[in-house]
Amino acid sequence: MRFTASKDCIPSLIRNLEDRGYTVVGPSLSEGVVRLRELKGPADLATGVVDVQAPGSYALGRESPLVFSSVNGPDSPKGYLHPAEVGLSKLVDDGGSIELVSGFHSDRKYAFFGIRPCDLRAVQVMDRTMLVPGFEDHVYSALRNGAVFIVVNCTRAGENCFCASMGTGPSAESGYDVAITELPEKLLIEFPERSAAMFEGIELKPATKEELRTGEEMVQHAKEQMGRRIPEHDPSKRMYAAMDSPMWGRVADRCLACGNCTMVCPTCFCNTIIDRTDLRDGSVSRVRVWESCLSKDFVYSAGGNPRLQRAARYRQFVMHKFAYWPDEFGTYGCVGCGRCITWCPVGIDITDTVNSVLVGQEGAEKKMEAHPVV
Amino acid sequence: MSRQTMRTFTRGTVRGVRKETPDTFTLHFDLGDGRTPADFMPGQFNMLYVFGVGEVPISVASYGGEKHLMHTIRSVGRVTNLLAALASGSSVGVRGPFGQGWPLAEAKGKQLLVIAGGLGLPPLRPVIEEGIAEPGRFDGMKVMYGARTPADLIYTYEYPRWHAADGCDLLLTVDRGASDWKGNVGVVTTLFPKARIDPRRAVAFICGPELMLKFSILELAKMGVPAERIFVSLERNMSCATGTCGHCQLGPLFICRDGPVFSYPKVRGFFPREGV
Repeated sequence: MRFTASKDCIPSLIRNLEDRGYTVVGPSLSEGVVRLRELKGPADLATGVVDVQAPGSYALGRESPLVFSSVNGPDSPKGYLHPAEVGLSKLVDDGGSIELVSGFHSDRKYAFFGIRPCDLRAVQVMDRTMLVPGFEDHVYSALRNGAVFIVVNCTRAGENCFCASMGTGPSAESGYDVAITELPEKLLIEFPERSAAMFEGIELKPATKEELRTGEEMVQHAKEQMGRRIPEHDPSKRMYAAMDSPMWGRVADRCLACGNCTMVCPTCFCNTIIDRTDLRDGSVSRVRVWESCLSKDFVYSAGGNPRLQRAARYRQFVMHKFAYWPDEFGTYGCVGCGRCITWCPVGIDITDTVNSVLVGQEGAEKKMEAHPVV
Repeated sequence: MSRQTMRTFTRGTVRGVRKETPDTFTLHFDLGDGRTPADFMPGQFNMLYVFGVGEVPISVASYGGEKHLMHTIRSVGRVTNLLAALASGSSVGVRGPFGQGWPLAEAKGKQLLVIAGGLGLPPLRPVIEEGIAEPGRFDGMKVMYGARTPADLIYTYEYPRWHAADGCDLLLTVDRGASDWKGNVGVVTTLFPKARIDPRRAVAFICGPELMLKFSILELAKMGVPAERIFVSLERNMSCATGTCGHCQLGPLFICRDGPVFSYPKVRGFFPREGV
């Protein structure tokens, strides 16, 4: 069932979520950037600001009459469901025996309010990586459990967006709790039966054919606006064939191996567990922090460092998203949000990389050993 | 494998430390939760934890018939240097077992080639011991082991027993000999022609440095051993051991979860390959 509601209903919708025990997380202005923050109330929601993005650049530009006016900032739900730093356990050494003082626990329920379809898809991708049967990550599982997603379909594409070619946007297809399309004068709202309680006290009218068509046209407009794309036809297989392309080296010459791309990526999950000792009581906290495959020591071991070359590490990042991920988890690791392009300090464009390694595939110089030995 | 043993540490109490070489030692220990070596499959590994310092992935070196759990470790870093300092009675945290072990069923009734280089021998030790404990399980077992120098050979105290065992041939080699070394000198593949390998019924389990794996695979393929009957155990940096930290990825594979033992066709294309 699809409805319309006045834009004035947004504060009530946020309060309804709060009243139902949700921690509401949504776009909020902070440090000159639209970040994904816990909203202390409806006033915290970033409205009317437009983000202007380009490779290696992000700025807030003109004002907009829209409520959901910005596309996406550096944050995604990943920061809440797979936090950048999380305590796994606190341990003490009790006369040689390692005793668990406390483990990870959370009964928080998140409501992601005003996120974009690509980010909802990113959570679905993370479900595949973090909830592998038999190997479920207990932290992700606890934080993800009970989370709801109030998704806003895109009616404007960001400069670096390419969700249309990844099939992940600009409108949400499934898995949302509420999907909103912001029309010029009102909100077009779609939700499954289970979400009805969120609209308590909010006047909903059945959407007219005209309103539905306007919504579709606006989403279609965003789709057509998107300048960047990944070739649709089975890039996974062709990426494997392009592993020895000289393009990897050429792009890596510009890459600083800073890892920004992996930090802002809504699906990158790599991490490291570290021990943090408390000098006051001698206890140890086992803390999990985000790590990056771009880091030089990421794969270092006693046997050597298989990815000492930056080109190898950059290739790992891109191959993982577009080739390994489908074989590992049955889905691409990229949702086309464009964050890695925006937040790369030298503006490396992942769509450029994929397109050029695929194009340059024939006649590529064999830089690396190309064939298995048997 | 239960969620519990994947995430929390079991107390391991050291019952003995045996020096193997100047930098390598074997820990024998008991687990506080009553599990025995029989609860760990040959080829699997544990994460060993030093309180407040960190964890390292180490292969299980004991086999089901033994009293204590065994790990053979080379001290090369922060955690392993501290493990080297442990004495009888001291504790170590144990998380595991993890991973897929050697496919012993595939080798039943076949000629088993156990090929190890350097510290690649410990994960194969339980295979050798099982073969000896149950003669006739394999149609002959050829153990081919190479180290850098005679002083780097580990488990030397086991060799007389292995030599004498029914159906087990032990062939040793070193990269560089010494004045009292009368054995073979050369890389491990130089043992292959001496081992009377029958490619039609051979199954190979290989563990060692990447180059040694690569040339062993090449040589076996030349002799006509089909790729499907070649199994390798691979090594990578590991942090979680449960397929969520990303460190051990090899192409689309997690070495901790999908491996560390793989049939060669499964990793072909990614191993051995530079930069993957």
